[in-house]
Amino acid sequence: MELEGLSKRFGWNWALRDASVRVEAGTTLCLVGPNGAGKTTLLKLVATLLRPSGGDAFVMGHSLSKDPDEIRQRTGFMTVRGFLYDDLSAAENLHFTMRMGGLKPRREVVGRVLERIGLDDVADNRMRTFSTGMRKRLALGQLLVRPIEVALLDEPYSGLDSQGMQLVDEVVSEFKAAGTTVLLASHQDGEAVREAEQTGILRKGRLEILPDSEPLSRHLSVGGPAGAPEVV
Amino acid sequence: MSVLHRAWAIVWKDLLIEARTKQSFNAMVFFAALVLFIFSFALGPDTELLQRVAGGLLWVGIAFTGLLSLSRTYQNEETSGGLEGLRAYPGDPRAIYLGKLLGNIVLLLLVEAVLIPAAGILFQANLWPHAWGLALVSVLGTIGFSLVGTFYSALTVNLRAREVMLPLLLFPALVPVLLGAVNATTLILEGDLMGEAIVWLRVLGAFDIIFFVICIWIFPIALEE
Repeated sequence: MELEGLSKRFGWNWALRDASVRVEAGTTLCLVGPNGAGKTTLLKLVATLLRPSGGDAFVMGHSLSKDPDEIRQRTGFMTVRGFLYDDLSAAENLHFTMRMGGLKPRREVVGRVLERIGLDDVADNRMRTFSTGMRKRLALGQLLVRPIEVALLDEPYSGLDSQGMQLVDEVVSEFKAAGTTVLLASHQDGEAVREAEQTGILRKGRLEILPDSEPLSRHLSVGGPAGAPEVV
Repeated sequence: MSVLHRAWAIVWKDLLIEARTKQSFNAMVFFAALVLFIFSFALGPDTELLQRVAGGLLWVGIAFTGLLSLSRTYQNEETSGGLEGLRAYPGDPRAIYLGKLLGNIVLLLLVEAVLIPAAGILFQANLWPHAWGLALVSVLGTIGFSLVGTFYSALTVNLRAREVMLPLLLFPALVPVLLGAVNATTLILEGDLMGEAIVWLRVLGAFDIIFFVICIWIFPIALEE
């Protein structure tokens, strides 16, 4: 995946300006930075949910501005709240994800994913009865029910307990082993953040790739609650 | 997987949620009943007058009630991240429009299945002899109403004043549908001795075809940020 001067402007404000980076398949780019720095904007641009104001990005050779649907086919996006419906059960939410992803929903696939994310015993419970952590796990499960080449994770650790955080780390490792490129935006420390091949810091919409020598801990709110102001 | 399969997935999801929560259906039925009651009280016990204006009153009720359903069309996506959730999936975005359109049509027809017999009782009109004709007007009118409404609902979903903007945009565009549906219903209820209802049914059919093509064509633009 390659970003080439990717920019996004909302009115007069530049949310992202001239972001350029190359991320090899099977590696992770971790994005850190204060609130409003442009992390979610960058992820939404790659997910084709926003149209770039300038520049372009290429996913497996497909241009963001010319072939957005090719990119959507290959990309999975886990947002902070997840694209989930309160009045559907966990299993139904995953069935819907499979259908919308162009796949025939298969009970055994959904069952396997629910078991993987530790929600198999509440598969038929409506999502509105779920805790924040359980919702987060289900949102992670949405990335696992269809084959993707790029995984976009926005604050994947927020609202999760230590077991949940470990699950995120394991899933990211599995993605990388399978050759899936991972873009991860996080305030919080975690194995997936520490083991990212590249770390980019966003400040006022400017992306800067950190040199290996610079300690990442300076840019994270370690152990703090989700959304806590970070130490930069 | 085709556009139709994705559209069907959205219909399945929306109707399943509606069947569980009955949020829209209950509100629509009660609101429609209220509108018909108010008209019936306002016009008094003059049976002849009630029967003469029954077609118009019925479609005013349907239009106001339909507005409730339309304004919720995309709002029920809010818990899942709004329309972004659906846009993040691959495939032609027209599937979203088709899915939402079919969901609206089914829901509105279900409400009409309660509303039309209720109107018959309130306005003291015997609807049974005209059941097929009324069903045809109802289906064509509902399709036309939902075609335009589902489109404008997407266009206004992110506006702050969407509750005001939706009817302001929608009703002028619906004039041909309401005109056709009211005239066809009135003629059918009066027995349609001159066979004039077919003209209005053709108007409704033509409106449905033209607006289906236009809305399907330009819907991806309405979805842009």
